[in-house]
Amino acid sequence: MYKYDSYDHAMVADRIAEFRDQVTRRLDGRLTEDQFKPLRLMNGVYLQLHAYMLRVAIPYGTLNSTQMRTLAGIARDYDRGYGHFTTRQNIQYNWPALVDIPDILDRLAAVEMHAIQTSGNCIRNVTADPFAGAAADELEDGRPWAEIVRQWSSFHPEFTFLPRKFKIAVNGASADRAGIRVHDIGLQIVQNDAGTTGFEVWVGGGQGRTPRLGQLIKPFLAPEDLLSYLTACLRVYNQHGRRDNLYKARIKILVEALGAEEYGHQVEDEWAAIRDGELKLPAEEIARIRAFFGKPKTAATAPVPVTENRAFARWIDRNRRDHAVNGLSSVVISLKPIGGTPGDITDAQMDAVADLAERHGFDEIRATPDQNLILPHVRNDKLEAVWSGLVEAGLATANAGLATDIVACPGLDYCNLANARSIPIAQAISSLLDETGLSEKAGDVTIKIDGCINACGHHHVAHIGVLGVDKRGEEFYQITLGGAFGTDAAIGSIIGKGLAGEDVPAAIARTLETYLDIRADGERFIDTLRRVGPDAFKEAIYADA
Amino acid sequence: MLTLDRKDDTRPIIDAQLAAGGGQIVELAGDADWRQAKAEIAGAVRVDIRFPKFSDGRGFTLATQLRQRVGYAGKLRAVGDLIPDQAQHLIRVGFDDVDPDRKGLDADWARARTRFTHAYQPGRGNVTPLFRHRHRRPEDDLAALNARYRDMSPPDILRDAIKNEWIGKIAIMSSFGAEAAVGLHMIAQIDPATPVIFLDTGRLFAQTEQYQRQLTDQLGLTNLRLLKPDAEAVAEVDGDERLWRRNPDACCALRKVRPLDEIIGDYDALITGRKRFHGGGRMALPVVERINGRVRINPLANWDATAIEDYFQRFDLPRHPLTDMGYASIGCWTCTAPVQADGDIRSGRWLGQTKTECGIHTPAQVAAE
Amino acid sequence: MKAVTANRLTDGRVIYRTATGQWTTELAEAARLDDDQADATLEIASDESQIAVGAYLIELEEDRPGGQKWRRESIRLSGPTTGSTHAQATA
Repeated sequence: MYKYDSYDHAMVADRIAEFRDQVTRRLDGRLTEDQFKPLRLMNGVYLQLHAYMLRVAIPYGTLNSTQMRTLAGIARDYDRGYGHFTTRQNIQYNWPALVDIPDILDRLAAVEMHAIQTSGNCIRNVTADPFAGAAADELEDGRPWAEIVRQWSSFHPEFTFLPRKFKIAVNGASADRAGIRVHDIGLQIVQNDAGTTGFEVWVGGGQGRTPRLGQLIKPFLAPEDLLSYLTACLRVYNQHGRRDNLYKARIKILVEALGAEEYGHQVEDEWAAIRDGELKLPAEEIARIRAFFGKPKTAATAPVPVTENRAFARWIDRNRRDHAVNGLSSVVISLKPIGGTPGDITDAQMDAVADLAERHGFDEIRATPDQNLILPHVRNDKLEAVWSGLVEAGLATANAGLATDIVACPGLDYCNLANARSIPIAQAISSLLDETGLSEKAGDVTIKIDGCINACGHHHVAHIGVLGVDKRGEEFYQITLGGAFGTDAAIGSIIGKGLAGEDVPAAIARTLETYLDIRADGERFIDTLRRVGPDAFKEAIYADA
Repeated sequence: MLTLDRKDDTRPIIDAQLAAGGGQIVELAGDADWRQAKAEIAGAVRVDIRFPKFSDGRGFTLATQLRQRVGYAGKLRAVGDLIPDQAQHLIRVGFDDVDPDRKGLDADWARARTRFTHAYQPGRGNVTPLFRHRHRRPEDDLAALNARYRDMSPPDILRDAIKNEWIGKIAIMSSFGAEAAVGLHMIAQIDPATPVIFLDTGRLFAQTEQYQRQLTDQLGLTNLRLLKPDAEAVAEVDGDERLWRRNPDACCALRKVRPLDEIIGDYDALITGRKRFHGGGRMALPVVERINGRVRINPLANWDATAIEDYFQRFDLPRHPLTDMGYASIGCWTCTAPVQADGDIRSGRWLGQTKTECGIHTPAQVAAE
Repeated sequence: MKAVTANRLTDGRVIYRTATGQWTTELAEAARLDDDQADATLEIASDESQIAVGAYLIELEEDRPGGQKWRRESIRLSGPTTGSTHAQATA
């Protein structure tokens, strides 16, 4: 993975000094809250219901054991002993004190981590395929490009005060695991007829109040033109994105208002003026960064173990993924224990993952857009050792991709913006689906839950989405069906009026039962839904009413 | 009103114009369309861009476009609701100064101006993006430096060199000769503690020695490095004190080149007083060059005799006593004669020989014995 | 009845304004205000942003959060309803 040089270290150190100064000036009144808020947001510091929340960046979801141990230490020393992995591959702490945050940032900087631009109206953490560098279907590892974009977007003099937040994703495999079409800009690595690799550029995707899928504005962008083209895209947005209405300020609104074609023209026009200028990426820099990313080499080519231990077998069946290198596997570490809080992990568990990664995982860990972790590189003859370690740490739930692998935003239990709670609903759904055995039987299903329309839990792109709303002080939950993240991306449709919280788990159980009744051979839930449409499921959901 | 740039304003003409009440100032709203603004600002000596709210970042793009697409080269000022933490953003998109609504935060602005030493992106104000800076070769440096200094006045070049580019690692070499006072005076205004290297060859005119003390004192220079040749070496190769006659190159090497070499490692860059109009090998002198791997800055490269004379008069600088006697370039008494009738300014040096340079400014040859 | 609440600047903790103009983490110690008092007190409180960030009014029913935002204010008062992540981890 990327290693900072002295310049990167200096940048992070300068940033921490800047933030420390900003905190001081806020405390003594030289900065008003109004002025301080965007500055602290750009250092990942939210003010939530009970406390500040610090969102630490995990660039393209990649970290090593040293970094994970530091995250554990921060949870222990500055928080309540746990952290929360998010749908954008970051980690959040829910209880730090503002006055401690500069010190926390120092600790992070010592292991090449930061909280830069994880919030605010600026360019955010770049999402990448969590299996990058390991997946067999990969054309090219997208992470060097994510790193290049990370640097280019950090402290950008022109684009630090955008109309709204800006999220970029890079995907390097034929399957989209980064969510290209639900980001403001999605970069899909492709190969042209001449055999050179470049990017498809998709613009205007996003969720929230007005979910949209991104549109293709450039079928092939040469790699050395990446920064100049992105600059042109951002420049048009910075000028013309709306600033009069918070809910209409994302680029998806601009792209829709202008039309993708017109937006693309404006970008090309700006790009023509700058493409051969100082933003052309030197080949040496591309090569320098690429050199940090590679596949592990191993002489050990043991096959995937066959075992009589049923729990281990089930875990291999559900949580193991094929690897590009013979003899290796990737494994999903589910952070969705039955009845637990999706994405949460204790400091002891973080240490356990660090140990396993270091000993058996080529010292690499990934955070996924569904709030799980991955050990991307594990020798097949180490799978049992890894699994045993996970069992001991309470991290061996064999439900990766199943209905109990629920994604949930923090919701009203933590978040200022929420209208309803999401975690208790997730817990109840998880318990019921596990109890009834439905989760095992139904196979691949995505369930994502949001406590408000901002949709940080990505309910729009779930097979079964759940959106909490507040009705005169009571929590109701709308169900959406048919969303999909990644390949074949789709926005789910609302199927009817909201259900009371206590009715939701049973409604979802009935939905899965319906699927099991009507599915054809080999059909996943989403396949059946696409084939027959939502009506049968809608009936099942409201069967109780 | 706060100046943003580390360098002083390099457009004195514009300031003078504004001070005299002439020259147009145009104010643009931050969301102005740059294509329309192009016509509005034609002929303006200053353009103000108003930020209605510090979080409205359109003014940054507008500034970028005015500089890059329109080619506006006049003064650009940011006005309105701005916070000190935006200082470097403003500099890097091309603003010269800022007039924020909230006053009294000068110290915060000053600190913010130099917060980040490097940048990941291209920008104005002396910035090479790291994706390029990491891979620079020495040739790129020189080209970039010469480009940067091309349109700058000698005092501004010196200020950038001393306070920014080679801060703490730069010195001036001075002969305390006929023109030396010019460069030394400029440096004294910037930082009188700048090291001044003076080669006391043991063969200097008495008038030079006296002038050196007088000028150092008058200009308030506090860091004179007086270098003398190694006494043992002198005894060994110039025992008869006639080396200058036998082998002038060896004598220069003994008394100038080698003493300089001893301490040159203390510096990444050396300032000289060399000028193109001196003729000979100096006629194509660049402002920035590299000799034996070390940067030499010749800020007065493009100044001629008139410019030198003007400067002497403007600041009423004392002259080297020998200039009245027809000496225009003054080195050691052994090898210096007055300017010859048909010769260039250095024609009195090593008169009758082909030698034109002592060697401290030229790439190393094999050390003379 | 109403009370003024905010978050403490230094550590973000939930605080309530007392009758003597202090800020406390205990709802029991918060000043109970009628509508007129509430607006006036909020205005004063909003000037105390070096201690308290984002002051606003909450409704009280008897001594507990009431009104439409009752659940949100209960959570602010008593913490998340999700159970302990540590407990879940070792389940």
